[in-house]
Amino acid sequence: MEKLSPDWTEATRLLTAQRQRWTTKYRFDRLFRFFCLTSIVFLIVVLSAIVLFVSKTGLLVFRDVSPWEFFFSSRWDPEHHRYGAAVFITGTLYVTFVTLLIATPISISTAVFIAEMAPPRLQQWLRTLLDLLVGIPSIVYGYLGATLLVPWIRKLTGAPVGDGILAAAIVLSMMILPTITRITDDALCAVPNEWREANYALGGTKIEMISKILLPAAKSGIAAAVILGMARAIGETMAVVMVIGNVAQWGFDLVTPSSVLTSHIVMQILNVDFQSTTNHALYMMALLLLFISISFIMMIRRLRLKGGPSS
Amino acid sequence: MKRSTLWKRVISAVLSSTLLLGAALATEHRADAAEVSGKIVIAGSTALLPLTQQAAKEFKKSHPKVKIVVSGSSSIAGPQSVTKGVATIGACDWDATKAVGGFPAYKGLKAYKIAKIPFAVIVNKGNPVSNLSVEQIQDIYEGKIKNWKQLGGKDEEIVVINRAKGSGTRVNFEDKIMDGHMIKTTGDNYKEVQKSGDMVNAVASNPNAIGFVDLAYVKGGIKAVSINGVKATTANAKSGKYIFYGYGYLLTKGEAKGADKAFIDYILSKKFQNGSLKKLKFIPVK
Repeated sequence: MEKLSPDWTEATRLLTAQRQRWTTKYRFDRLFRFFCLTSIVFLIVVLSAIVLFVSKTGLLVFRDVSPWEFFFSSRWDPEHHRYGAAVFITGTLYVTFVTLLIATPISISTAVFIAEMAPPRLQQWLRTLLDLLVGIPSIVYGYLGATLLVPWIRKLTGAPVGDGILAAAIVLSMMILPTITRITDDALCAVPNEWREANYALGGTKIEMISKILLPAAKSGIAAAVILGMARAIGETMAVVMVIGNVAQWGFDLVTPSSVLTSHIVMQILNVDFQSTTNHALYMMALLLLFISISFIMMIRRLRLKGGPSS
Repeated sequence: MKRSTLWKRVISAVLSSTLLLGAALATEHRADAAEVSGKIVIAGSTALLPLTQQAAKEFKKSHPKVKIVVSGSSSIAGPQSVTKGVATIGACDWDATKAVGGFPAYKGLKAYKIAKIPFAVIVNKGNPVSNLSVEQIQDIYEGKIKNWKQLGGKDEEIVVINRAKGSGTRVNFEDKIMDGHMIKTTGDNYKEVQKSGDMVNAVASNPNAIGFVDLAYVKGGIKAVSINGVKATTANAKSGKYIFYGYGYLLTKGEAKGADKAFIDYILSKKFQNGSLKKLKFIPVK
């Protein structure tokens, strides 16, 4: 008994120490849990506050303007109480379409090159480069567009101003190229190597492997990449406002100064009375943008859920 | 990997908008609180911002007990914030107690004229045209004159650049130069820019462009044209020979009282009018 007692003491000491350690550990756990919960609640509150505020203000426009006029009239002339936003809505969709027309083929080709053809060192180097490009602030793209691209378009097309859908689309393409390329690259790399080997085993060439196996297998990943690029292009403001010309008129010929939702909002919002119909119309445009973005995010999620090797 | 980048994007977007929202709410709140405790809160025109900032700096020295908050967004924000009670003094490039340039008259405000602002019609430095009559400028902006050749320049299409609606400079341009003639706001040779600096860049980067801006901005790749043969100088604007100028106003809710009155009196004092105001390329009104 006498000999056991030091062991007992020792054991008790150890146990207490252990318990203490656990308590501190769990206290931290609980604290962290609380922190995470608060964060998510905060996020939800802010997000719904934004959606609520924008829709509440935006929908007020329909007190003074019929939805038909707002969505389908191209006459934006607040001085004469005309609030047609068709030019901006169409402009946004059109600019995004042209942007994707330019950016998608280039991005996918670049991604195929990086994933399938580049030697490992170049591959790594290119990926780092693209990751860096994603981080360039859009104002830089806009500035380069306004000072280099626009005069160049003016010279090439003979357009007097040079600002317009084309300039905006080219600037946006440059901006979203790295995004689409990197995500497509990831999707391609997720295609199992055995599939490639199967192609070669059957006597297929590299181009057959890429076009018949790789791209179809990664198609949901590529689609997600394109939509993400699209979402970025639609929401981009600063780069666009610097090169689009900011005139409320159709810009279908690509080099006529025109306007899109984002650029129009940022041009006008500081100069309108908060209670005015113009302000409500601008908020309605913001709400539209919000809806477009949300539907894109939904689309990406759905694509992800559908699966495929890329997800 | 993809999901995490996406979430990062979403979260960063949300956070930045929260910040913006927070900032907006915070400023409003601060301004509100400031009014209650009798501080001076100035909001409105960016064209007058250098002036009000300089005046605030000097005023603080002589009145150490008065707190002044100066901010600037756009002319129309001046009368708006005073009406709403968010600011005690509003700065505006036109007399907002009258209906000007499509903006309503703000009732119950008192306007104090504090400075004369000279403006300039500008063209690219390489443009040989150096003088335009008011009628010619009107015709250009109405879309009747389309080629520089018609004005003694090169055989090139004129590119018309305008400021966005709500700009104080545009209001003055429409008032003093257009004089009731409507600007043609469409066409493949027309574009709008947001700020005075953007106007300068747009005209400097396009050899066939025409625009207008505060005289203080005229340097670098642009030049001011003479109007009706009168050179765009502060001296000519002061004498009234040069017609393209406007006035800067400070607005208060009713008669200015207390600290607001002291501040406006300071800006109107001989010392400030002939000192800092002149240095900032504005023209004294006293």
